[in-house]
Amino acid sequence: MSQEWNIVVCVKQVPDADDVSIDPDTGTLNRSDAEAVLNQPDYNAVESALQLREAVGGTVTAVTMGPPFATAVLQEAVALGADDGVLLTDRAFGGSDTWPTSLALAAIAEELDADVVICGEESTDSSTGQVPPGIAAHNDWSQLTYVEELEPNPEEDELIAVRDIEGGHEKVAASLPVVVAVGFGLNEPRIAGLHRKIYAENEFEPQEYSASDLGIEESVGLAASPTSVGGMATADPVERKREMVEDVETLFEELESTGAI
Amino acid sequence: MPGEVDTEDYADVWVFIEQHDGEAAKVSWELLAKGRELADEKGERLVALVMGDSVTHLAEEAIERGADEVLVAEDPIFEPYLPGPYGEQFRYLVEERHPDVVLIGGSHTGRDFAGRVAVPTYAGLTADCTELDIEPDTGLLLAKRPTFGGDAMATIKCVEHRPQMATVRPGVFDAAQPDPDREGTITEVEVVVDESHQRSRMIERVVGDITDITDANVVVAGGYGTEGDFGPVEDLAAALGGEVAATREAVEEGWIEAARQVGQTGKTVKPDLYIACGISGAIQHLEGMNDSKTIVAINDDPNAPIFDDADYGIVGDLFEICPALTELIEQKRGETA
Repeated sequence: MSQEWNIVVCVKQVPDADDVSIDPDTGTLNRSDAEAVLNQPDYNAVESALQLREAVGGTVTAVTMGPPFATAVLQEAVALGADDGVLLTDRAFGGSDTWPTSLALAAIAEELDADVVICGEESTDSSTGQVPPGIAAHNDWSQLTYVEELEPNPEEDELIAVRDIEGGHEKVAASLPVVVAVGFGLNEPRIAGLHRKIYAENEFEPQEYSASDLGIEESVGLAASPTSVGGMATADPVERKREMVEDVETLFEELESTGAI
Repeated sequence: MPGEVDTEDYADVWVFIEQHDGEAAKVSWELLAKGRELADEKGERLVALVMGDSVTHLAEEAIERGADEVLVAEDPIFEPYLPGPYGEQFRYLVEERHPDVVLIGGSHTGRDFAGRVAVPTYAGLTADCTELDIEPDTGLLLAKRPTFGGDAMATIKCVEHRPQMATVRPGVFDAAQPDPDREGTITEVEVVVDESHQRSRMIERVVGDITDITDANVVVAGGYGTEGDFGPVEDLAAALGGEVAATREAVEEGWIEAARQVGQTGKTVKPDLYIACGISGAIQHLEGMNDSKTIVAINDDPNAPIFDDADYGIVGDLFEICPALTELIEQKRGETA
């Protein structure tokens, strides 16, 4: 394996969660006004990718799947320091669930000869967390999910991670090529420099790939998705008492009388 | 298209029994209880799956807790958990035995390897479900999961592919109670994995160094309003014998460790009592605590949205209210002791 690593970072454009509101009359979600932004956990993924490049050498390529305007999140990644960006864009991808989505990302990772693929652990819109293990499974690569610390071990062609597990942690070494899902907040993402920002917005052009470029046009999109949405309902609101109390003594008595304490 | 299957060839509800060091994760027993209901509704068998080394006691317990059959894959290669061997062994069993429904705990372990089963078998996998039902006319699994910060519930179906897989949040269902008189079959299955499937190695595994807030009966959480001083929150939690938790902002500010974060990008808690101190109540946070039995909100902003989602609200400075409440609780404890 080469000395320098090909690092691919997968990013996603999501509606800004802070803009998603509930219509007080209908109880339905209103996200039409929400601005599309880079998925928050992906900032940690980009930062991890840049730190790996600084430690080992190599290149960082940001990848996203979406319509042409999804280029905006690639620009963001390039402004932060990614060397290049790839846009997987094709009507054939429309309606893909996690199976074909991770297939497309696995295919581009192979095409780019990736040593490491880094993703945020979940997207803030659908939060399945299934895509990173899906990429690893499609390519039969190793994986590290829920990563809280990451360090390269280039001598052994492996990455060493501390993973968050219920009630503790584990330290795992995974051989390259490897897919990593980094935990939200594992690092402090850097701020884009002005020159890099100007370059990303004015000169940077992503490489574009269609499903047929990757030879997967029969295996993506709605028809290739094993799951489908069978319905959407407003979550039943939990009925709360909404009782305002005047002082701590009353609060204590209320909690005591209802058996809460 | 690859992966087309005759759905009629698939039957039975499978539950994965997650275990570490011979100890089962509680969510496995919760899924066994729910799996029993689903299997009865479909008129199918409930099958539990155990992988590990020296795990016969768990196979027996799975029968006591509702399984008709337990498939046991026993080999040192399954200790400790690694996604390669678990995924490959599970894939083999799915392709050999054609289960209709497969339920896996939505723990970090379950969510780590579920995709390594669903991808090679071309199964439909729904992540992080909080409700499971059977569609009466079709017998299909209706896997329901919160979406968009918990304000909507999406129902996911898998019509043409099998198995219908779901990872399920811990704490959503009540665990099945053991009945020592229940009878069932324990089947040793062929182990098809070896070192070549590992691709990663465990250097160390430490459990118990971080509190699992998902299991706490009382949670006292602090937000931006703590301004970085979690002292009053910690004291109140200690007085109640509960755990300290926090919002994303507090974690991002570095005031508290990420393992204690409640919300969409953190943990889901379901305590009897949840006290939110200096927390405004963003929907991403509410998603992680909405199943708490009683919610108390302490905030100095009378318009904070958290008050709409609380049973009891008190407007005021948490640096005064928390210590006063702590004192009353300690007094009570002194009286009853």
